[in-house]
Amino acid sequence: MTVQFGYPEDREARSAARVRALEALLIEKGVITDATVDKVLGYFEADMTPLNGAKIVARAWTDAEFAERLVKDTPAAVAELDLPVGMDGAEGEHLQAVANTPGVHNLVICTLCSCFPWPVLGLPPYWYKDPTFRARAAREPRVVLKETGLDLDPSVELRVWDSSGHSRWFVVPQRPAGTDGMTEEQLAALVTTESMIGIAEVPSPAA
Amino acid sequence: MKLQHHLGGLENLGPVTYEPRVFVEDWEQRVFGIHVAMMGLSAHLGDAVPQYPIEDVPTAFSSVWTWADLRKGAEAMHPFAYFQYRYYEKWLGGIGGFFVSQGYITEEELEAKAAEYLQDPGLDLPEGGDERIDDQVIRYLREGDSPRQGPATSPAFAVGDLVTVKDVPPTEHTRLPGNLRGRTGTVERVFEGDYGYFCSTGPDGIGEPMPVYAVRFEPTDIWGELAEPGAVLYGELYQAYLTHAMEEQQ
Repeated sequence: MTVQFGYPEDREARSAARVRALEALLIEKGVITDATVDKVLGYFEADMTPLNGAKIVARAWTDAEFAERLVKDTPAAVAELDLPVGMDGAEGEHLQAVANTPGVHNLVICTLCSCFPWPVLGLPPYWYKDPTFRARAAREPRVVLKETGLDLDPSVELRVWDSSGHSRWFVVPQRPAGTDGMTEEQLAALVTTESMIGIAEVPSPAA
Repeated sequence: MKLQHHLGGLENLGPVTYEPRVFVEDWEQRVFGIHVAMMGLSAHLGDAVPQYPIEDVPTAFSSVWTWADLRKGAEAMHPFAYFQYRYYEKWLGGIGGFFVSQGYITEEELEAKAAEYLQDPGLDLPEGGDERIDDQVIRYLREGDSPRQGPATSPAFAVGDLVTVKDVPPTEHTRLPGNLRGRTGTVERVFEGDYGYFCSTGPDGIGEPMPVYAVRFEPTDIWGELAEPGAVLYGELYQAYLTHAMEEQQ
C-alpha cells in the first residue's frame, strides 16, 4: 500500500501512456487491429445508448399492453420495437425490466461488480460502478436516493435488485405529470439514464 | 474472505461521488475497447450459442477471456486498493497483467513502449491488422454470449418456497453477494431454463448449467436494526447457492 503517500503526480499521463503502449503492442502482435478499439467505441456511440431504453420506456407509457409484456417477457417486447440490431447482444442477452408504480420504486445495483444492460442503457456511469454506491445502496438505499435528490415517500416500497445472476435489470420509471398529449418521441426525450437505473424519477417537463 | 465479495452493507464509506460520466479520462476508453475485443475474441466463443467461427479468426489471441477473468482480477486486489483506484485503473492493471502473464508481451517491452508514449503522447499507433478480427468483435457485441445452456432441468425450488442461502466456502471468485450468505428469503421467480457461468467457481458451486431464482429478502433479516423500513432486497441466485429453509433448520 503505497498509494496513500507515493502518489505519482503524473498518474493519468502514466496510465494513458501504458494503455497506448498496450494497444500498440497488441496491434503489432496481431491480437487486434489498428481499428478494433475505435470500432468498439463507435458501436456504443452510434447504436447502444440510453436512447434505446428511453424509447422502450416511452412506448410503455403510451401502450399499456406493451408495458405489461415488457415486464413479463422483456426480450420479446424489446424486439417489437425498431431499435438497432444487438438489443439481445453483449450484456443484453437476458434483459429484465421492472416497472415503478405509485406504490413501488425499483433500484438496480450490482454489489459484486458493475453488471449493466448495455444495449438499452449504454455503458454505466461512474457512480454506478463506485464501490461506495454499491455498498451503501444495498443497506441504506433510501438515504442514498435522498442524497441524489429523490426523497421517496415512506409509504412507497423500495425494491433493490442486486444483479448477481444472468439478468440485466432496468427500471421503467413512472410517466411524469404534465405530459398528456406528448408524442412518443417527445416522451423519450424526457427519460434519463438515472431514472432507468432507479436513482431518480423522470421530472415533469412543466417543472 | 474477500472484501470484494462482501461489499453490500459495508459501513462508514461516506458520501457517494455522483460522477455521471462513463469515462473521465480519454485513455479509459482505450482499455474498455481492449477488454471488449478480448471478450469478442475469446477462445471459448466457438461453443457459444451463435457458434462463432473463432478458430478461423486471424488473431494472435488464443486465450479465454470473459467477465469472470476481469472480475477475478478485481477480486484479487488488495481490498484498500480496490477502493483507492478508479474503475478503469483496475481494468488496466488486470488486463495489462494478463497479457504479460500469458506471454503475449513482456513487462519490459510494455514499460519501454509506455516510456516512449509518456515522452511523446502524440506518437501514432502502429497500423495494420486483419479486418476479420474487427468483424468478429462487432459480431460478438451484436449477438452476445448467453449463459443459457442445455435443456432446462427440473428446478428444486418453486415460487413461494422459503430458501436459505448456503455459506459456501470462500473461493477465488463468486457470484454470491456476501450479505446474503446464511439468510433466508422467498423465491419470487424461477427463471426459465438453466444458466451456466463462464468458469467453474470450484467449491463455490457454479459453472455448470443450473436453474436461477429471484429471491426476495427482508432487510431486517439481513441488517437487523440497521435495516431501512419499507425496502426489500432481491438477489438473483444460482440453485447451487440455495437450500430449503426447513432443511437448514433441522
